[in-house]
Amino acid sequence: MRRELGMFVALVLLGVGLWASNHDFLGASNVVNLTRQIAMLGIFAIGISFVIITGGIDLSIGSIIGLTGVIIAYLSGQHYPDNPAAGGRGYSLWIGVPVALAVAGLIGLAQGLLITRLNLQPFIVTLGGMLLLRGVSQTIVGGGTLSLGDVPLANLANGGVLGSPGNPLVPYPVVILFVVALVGGYLLHFTVFGRYVYAIGGNREAAEYSGIPVRRVETLTYVISALTAGVAGVCYAAYIGQMSQQVGIAYELYAIAAAVLGGVSLRGGEGTVIGAIIGSCIMRVIDNGINMFQWVYRDASGARRVFRLDNNWTFIIIGAVILVAVVLDQVAHVVQSRRLTRRAAVDARRTPAEGEA
Amino acid sequence: MRGITKRFPGVVALQDVSLHLSRGEVLALAGENGAGKSTLMKVLGGAYPPDAGEIHVDGAPVRLSNVRDARRAGIALIHQELMLAPNLDVAGNIFLGNEGASALWGPLRRSRMRERAAPLLARVGLAHPPQTPLSGLTVAERQMVEIAKALSQQARIIVMDEPTSSLTGGESERLFQIIHQLRAEGLGIVYISHRMEEVLALADRVMVLRDGRHAGGLDRAEATHERIVALMVGRELQSHYFPERPSAPTGDVVLSVDGLLVAGAPAPVSFEVRRGEILGFAGLVGSGRTELMEAVFGARPALGGSMRVEGRVFRPQHPRDAIREGVYLAPEDRKRHGLVLPMSVAANVSLPGLRRYARFGFLDRRRERKVAAAEVARFKVKTPSLERPVVNLSGGNQQKVVLGKWLALAPRVLILDEPTRGIDVGAKAEIYRHMAELAAQGLAILMISSEMEEVLGMSDRVVVMHERRVRGIVPRAGLTAERVAALMTGQAEAAAV
Repeated sequence: MRRELGMFVALVLLGVGLWASNHDFLGASNVVNLTRQIAMLGIFAIGISFVIITGGIDLSIGSIIGLTGVIIAYLSGQHYPDNPAAGGRGYSLWIGVPVALAVAGLIGLAQGLLITRLNLQPFIVTLGGMLLLRGVSQTIVGGGTLSLGDVPLANLANGGVLGSPGNPLVPYPVVILFVVALVGGYLLHFTVFGRYVYAIGGNREAAEYSGIPVRRVETLTYVISALTAGVAGVCYAAYIGQMSQQVGIAYELYAIAAAVLGGVSLRGGEGTVIGAIIGSCIMRVIDNGINMFQWVYRDASGARRVFRLDNNWTFIIIGAVILVAVVLDQVAHVVQSRRLTRRAAVDARRTPAEGEA
Repeated sequence: MRGITKRFPGVVALQDVSLHLSRGEVLALAGENGAGKSTLMKVLGGAYPPDAGEIHVDGAPVRLSNVRDARRAGIALIHQELMLAPNLDVAGNIFLGNEGASALWGPLRRSRMRERAAPLLARVGLAHPPQTPLSGLTVAERQMVEIAKALSQQARIIVMDEPTSSLTGGESERLFQIIHQLRAEGLGIVYISHRMEEVLALADRVMVLRDGRHAGGLDRAEATHERIVALMVGRELQSHYFPERPSAPTGDVVLSVDGLLVAGAPAPVSFEVRRGEILGFAGLVGSGRTELMEAVFGARPALGGSMRVEGRVFRPQHPRDAIREGVYLAPEDRKRHGLVLPMSVAANVSLPGLRRYARFGFLDRRRERKVAAAEVARFKVKTPSLERPVVNLSGGNQQKVVLGKWLALAPRVLILDEPTRGIDVGAKAEIYRHMAELAAQGLAILMISSEMEEVLGMSDRVVVMHERRVRGIVPRAGLTAERVAALMTGQAEAAAV
């Protein structure tokens, strides 16, 4: 929890700093928008954390997010009789959404089985999945866009609970994140399954020799990862409305970055659900902060000027933050092990010297 | 266990082996590396289902086709590399795979596991609370966690593979007490070890495997060191197992180490080694010998002191600096630090001096092969070709490749960390002969060894370390097992330098 706590403090400081520079940061519209963005990332960052804690990786989730949205748009998007290629078939959302989620789950199952039954490397299998599924999405949308049109799904992204009608305080994606976090947190921290996830990441051989069904547990983590990506895909589809082949590109990397920022170790065996959420918050707050940050000052002539960050710096800043976070973490590790070494040396000195030359 | 056979592609690892273990008995399993001890253990543990033969527990036939079967039959394995998860706590490790839930989705009952762990920990004499993270425990304490885990599964048979290989003397004693206690409680114990003293001290019976076959069994009364070794190697040990060495060399000092302070060590270390001398380093595992050598080799920072090579100041910051001065290290874990396993014999031999074989940055493969061929011939490495990846060679031949890799560079000082670890008896004698030859040619050798015989048989002088201090430097005259053992276990003795 050390890492989670540190990152939580960093998050709070970041928030306070941004609020100080621009009070609109905590304004109602920005907060609603920001929490929606956090929630949509957090949902699949939690899912991929299961995989990463076992020591695996899932690169396919960005493509799964895209594909779920495309499937929903294809099946349940509004039907335009004069231009059928621009919209969907117009089936009920009660068909489109479950089919999309089922496809996501099956993709996870297939990748998990390939990895565990054939002993393939997760990186390669999910890289293949990432490219293949992206191609499937492209084929379905035919290079253009599929419009969801006027279907009630849009309400999922824009609506919410509490607040006044039309002006919700808590967007639905946040509610979904809450549910995913509760279920995910229960699974990871309070069930035998979760214990096995950690054991596999901590020492795979020990897990094997303890009679743990390692392959089944690992396969399930890929299903969980893909399913949460599917759920996030539904939210993104609702949010964007127009599904193109671009949706979800590189999202797996955001999820990995969020998880790692929140203390999920790529070495396996370490990480928490709350950490993945904190990491997602940091990613999105930085993203949002680059827009919100302003510095009001007076130039030499005394005129009032406002300094803002260039949007193009987003990736530079996020990349730098990730590097700084892992460097700080490593430094903390080294300092701690030095302290242990020193303590051991002191203990050794305390024992009386015998027969020493 | 009767008529067990296990085949792997290309080899028969076990051929018609039978084993009988009674309640309250300690059966020691001895054999050289590759004799089939570990395979037999894995068959018992359900990891390798046998190709033929049958296994009975308490008279009832059992099929062990996976780890869970073995656990149900009351068999628990304690591997040499402990099978624990360092990121879980003690209780979590004890009940790993046995959490008492019927389904994967069942709740993890931490408090109940802790309650149940407490009496088990008391039985193995571990004072830590069950919620201690495993990473905070010493190797010996972790081993007790493994035993507690076996007990938690109501194991009636515990198989231990080289359990003392990383324990200190005192910790081993503690383990033996526990083994005696378990035997008194009626458990059957299979104890795999190649440390004869332990086998003789613990075992009610000794069973020896050789080349995957049952080579013989000895009762406690008839078991002696010589008889077990004779069964292991299938012949009496030759009397010149260790080569004859000339009396202590008096050549120039090649390497002198003065007050070297290694990070983590409580006191500085000084010693010197002459041309043609083999300087042994005795001590228990963890006594600081490897760390000291890594500092000499520049792989670990030195906090103080000075070193000289042939009189010149030597201050290695990196192994490159040491290699430039002709100081080479053949590490203990040769598979991890000594060799690039998937690369060929030739590429491994040429690796440290690769620049010499390059012309304008292009590798001169003919020269590389010539040098490698010379080393392969010098050490009689058994390999079908220079292109064979070293991963396919036996331990002894791998070690020869490591030696060849450094010898190709004309060393001054060669540091050998456990030069014969994991090597069978025949290949050991060869390594010893090569060491003696190299010393005779004027090379200074620093040899870390945890095998008393090797230390006594090969060294001109022996530096004995205990808890990261030098406890004494014993010359060949007056070098006895008792004296070295006393120093390395920290027993007081007047300084002998």
